[in-house]
Amino acid sequence: MKTLATALGLTGLDSRSKTQRTDAQFFEWRVVGIALCVFVGYYLGAKIGFALTLRPHPVSVLWPPNSILLAALLLTPVRVWWVILLAAFPAHLAAQLQSNVPPAMILCWFISNSCEALIGAGCVRYLIDRPVRFDRLGNVGIFIFFAAFLGPFLSSFVDAAFVAINHFGGDSYWQVWRIRFTSNILAALTLVPLIVTWVADGIAWLWKIRQARFLEAALLLIALLSVNTIVFYKLGSSADSALLCLPVPFLIWAAVRFGSRGASAAICTLTFLAIWSAGHGYGPFSTRSAEENALSIQMFLIVMSVPLLLLAAVIEERGKGAMTLREREDRISLAAESANLVFWSINFERKESWMSDKGRAIFNFGPDEPLSRELFLSRVHPEDRDAVDEAIEHARVESQTFEIEYRLLRPDGDIRWLISRGRYLRNDRGGIRELIGVAIDITAQVKADLQLGLQREEMVRMSRVSSMGELTASLAHELNQPLTAIASNAAAGRRLLAQGSPDPKMFEELLADVAMDARRAGDIIHGIHHFVRKGEGTRCRVNLNEIVREVLRLLHSDLLGRGTAVETELAPNLPSVDADPVQLQQVLLNLLMNSLEAMNDTSAASRRVVISTTCEPNSSVAVSVRDYGSGLPADDADKVFTHFYSTKPNGMGMGLTIVRSIVEAHGGKLRAENVDEGARFFFTLPVTRKSETREVA
Amino acid sequence: MVDDDQSVRRGLGRLFKSAGYAAETFASAEDYLAREIFEGPICLVLDVRMPGLNGLGLQETLEKRGACEQIVFITGHGDVSTATQAMKSGAIDFLTKPFDDVELIEAVKLAFERAKEQLHKRGERREARGRIEKLTPREFEVLRFVIMGLLNKQIAAELHTAEKTIKVHRGRVMQKLRVTSVPDLVRVSQRAGVSPAHNPHKTKIN
Repeated sequence: MKTLATALGLTGLDSRSKTQRTDAQFFEWRVVGIALCVFVGYYLGAKIGFALTLRPHPVSVLWPPNSILLAALLLTPVRVWWVILLAAFPAHLAAQLQSNVPPAMILCWFISNSCEALIGAGCVRYLIDRPVRFDRLGNVGIFIFFAAFLGPFLSSFVDAAFVAINHFGGDSYWQVWRIRFTSNILAALTLVPLIVTWVADGIAWLWKIRQARFLEAALLLIALLSVNTIVFYKLGSSADSALLCLPVPFLIWAAVRFGSRGASAAICTLTFLAIWSAGHGYGPFSTRSAEENALSIQMFLIVMSVPLLLLAAVIEERGKGAMTLREREDRISLAAESANLVFWSINFERKESWMSDKGRAIFNFGPDEPLSRELFLSRVHPEDRDAVDEAIEHARVESQTFEIEYRLLRPDGDIRWLISRGRYLRNDRGGIRELIGVAIDITAQVKADLQLGLQREEMVRMSRVSSMGELTASLAHELNQPLTAIASNAAAGRRLLAQGSPDPKMFEELLADVAMDARRAGDIIHGIHHFVRKGEGTRCRVNLNEIVREVLRLLHSDLLGRGTAVETELAPNLPSVDADPVQLQQVLLNLLMNSLEAMNDTSAASRRVVISTTCEPNSSVAVSVRDYGSGLPADDADKVFTHFYSTKPNGMGMGLTIVRSIVEAHGGKLRAENVDEGARFFFTLPVTRKSETREVA
Repeated sequence: MVDDDQSVRRGLGRLFKSAGYAAETFASAEDYLAREIFEGPICLVLDVRMPGLNGLGLQETLEKRGACEQIVFITGHGDVSTATQAMKSGAIDFLTKPFDDVELIEAVKLAFERAKEQLHKRGERREARGRIEKLTPREFEVLRFVIMGLLNKQIAAELHTAEKTIKVHRGRVMQKLRVTSVPDLVRVSQRAGVSPAHNPHKTKIN
């Protein structure tokens, strides 16, 4: 909760200093300067106040010292207010002692004047949570009510009471109250904004102003002085009172073009000329008694200055608002640009549409081309067009937000990927008012994803090639069988021919065998080629039993060489799965090789691998490879699937990682566990769904 | 010939037939072992890599069985250690598939020659043994001293008997072994694998 003390103390300090060090400096140097300024200002203010007294009336029309004190309090932190008051006191004495006023009365006046300044400054400080300026309507309202009205209103009771107690002068209590009240209101309205607006921000802003502004200001000043001089001096006392409104356009000019600074300066000029002319018997305020004249001037100036200050505040606030809005827009558009975001809207009621510049560039729309659904769809890739149109239509009918991912086909053939999100806004009657949305260009991301996919694919292939490398000897053996048969048959044929007794039937069989073996050799080579070439990742319906058989065919020689028996327990009527057959072969091959290597230390008699396929209850198929080898690391069986984990002296540790990545890419799961005398690897793959089966069938 | 690959069996079978051999093929080592033993000369063409008992295993088994098959190995890929082991165990040749038919036929021819030779030796040995088996234990003992080169007198001293008795035994041994001279006697004994007697009493031979 905000207490009065903290509000007064801290807000005042915060406006100028954030740390104790600067706080201390504030005391050392600026306080001394301010005190000096207050002293001089207060003294001069009192002098001016005396000068603006309409003789023979004893009370000044405008009494500046109180306002100077108030302005000083508004500009300084609460904790140095005592210094301000202390500095004002000698000035008060020095000024008042020259005017034959009893010392007690002088003291009383200081008390009432201080009261007024403290009430005004205290209230304003408490209510305005920042440095006091006249650039906001609310601030100006608070200032006018609390500082310019309430302060003088309350303190004038005290002041009039002091006058009555001291039996000073001949006026009644209410007369004194009334005279002081109006003169202090006028002073507060005229001088405080002037001092605060011109002193608070220093003079640095002056150097940033363009020459044209200076010229305009000078022109305005000359015009204001001329008009005021004409109104208050040249026109006689009998002139039409409507002419008093002559300065108003110039005052408004000042407020509109120069804000609170201009308005306060213009009011000040008007005030001094009006009072000065009246004091010297010129102008419209010189016709009646001094007291009546003073009151007229005061009322005229108060009525002029209050709306003008408010107008200036409104103008400044609007200017600041516009600037803030522009800054915010800049920030949003910067964010949008850096995030490749596109904003757009189509207002159906006003027949207006808008899209950020970047968006127009991406969609290849002209700068002022009106947007429409049709125009948008014309840019969408033909293959995506129907889906996008459907999504938007659905959102329109259902009043939902749509989110679509699609491609743009640009005139140069370039394709960009985008995600759009949009919503139809409805008016009070339920009709469609506006369609708004954002789009984000995800081309770079999509390309990166594709690249990553290609890299993964390539890695899987390289691993396949390398497992083929490990199998070279076996494959050579496998290929040698048909070649040996062909060579033997050919040699036999030649010999039979040379012996001159060719039996045609036997020759036909011989040649049929040669042809068959040649085909067999071709199949082996084709299989190897198929296995290591760049896969297109084509998926089809695959029977896992078939895959097991193919891999065993491929590994046949290797198994013989290692003296390992392979037993298969293949489930009959195994449902098919959707998969890339080559990659599944790779999975099984890697698992088998892994099992074979795990059994290097197993005695030849017990070297055995059992491969089984089973139907799982949750509509998936499982393949298990069980060996009688060294088993998995006891602490963490899953460790074998991590990158670069290998128990082999020259293993890269990538095989099982790739196996897992392939299985997971097929929507399956790969597990490993230790079983009696060995390990078991098994993976599951989801069965082809019925609907798809029907489609294929 | 033993090879697990049917095509190879058919091709090689045909080749051997064209070269004038009677070829018999087996799909595995076990199949061959199950066959009744053939007494004639045999050349075994063996694949190294086979399910079950492999080529080298079969070679070992046959050696233990004391058969006289001569073996020519054929293999899909021959590594040095396998080849060395096969040759040490008495294989005729070690050929890598696919091989030149002339080379194979030469090896087979060599194998048959060796097989015949061995069969011949075996026949002689069996015949010599048959003769020696007719000797009485005493006569066999005398034979062993004779082929050691002892004189009748020395043998009599060894056996603590009369020189005359030894002379009779010696005459019967010569008769039963159908030889007329001591060198012939030694030759027959060698064929039958009879070793000379030890010299338990350190009798001076001269």
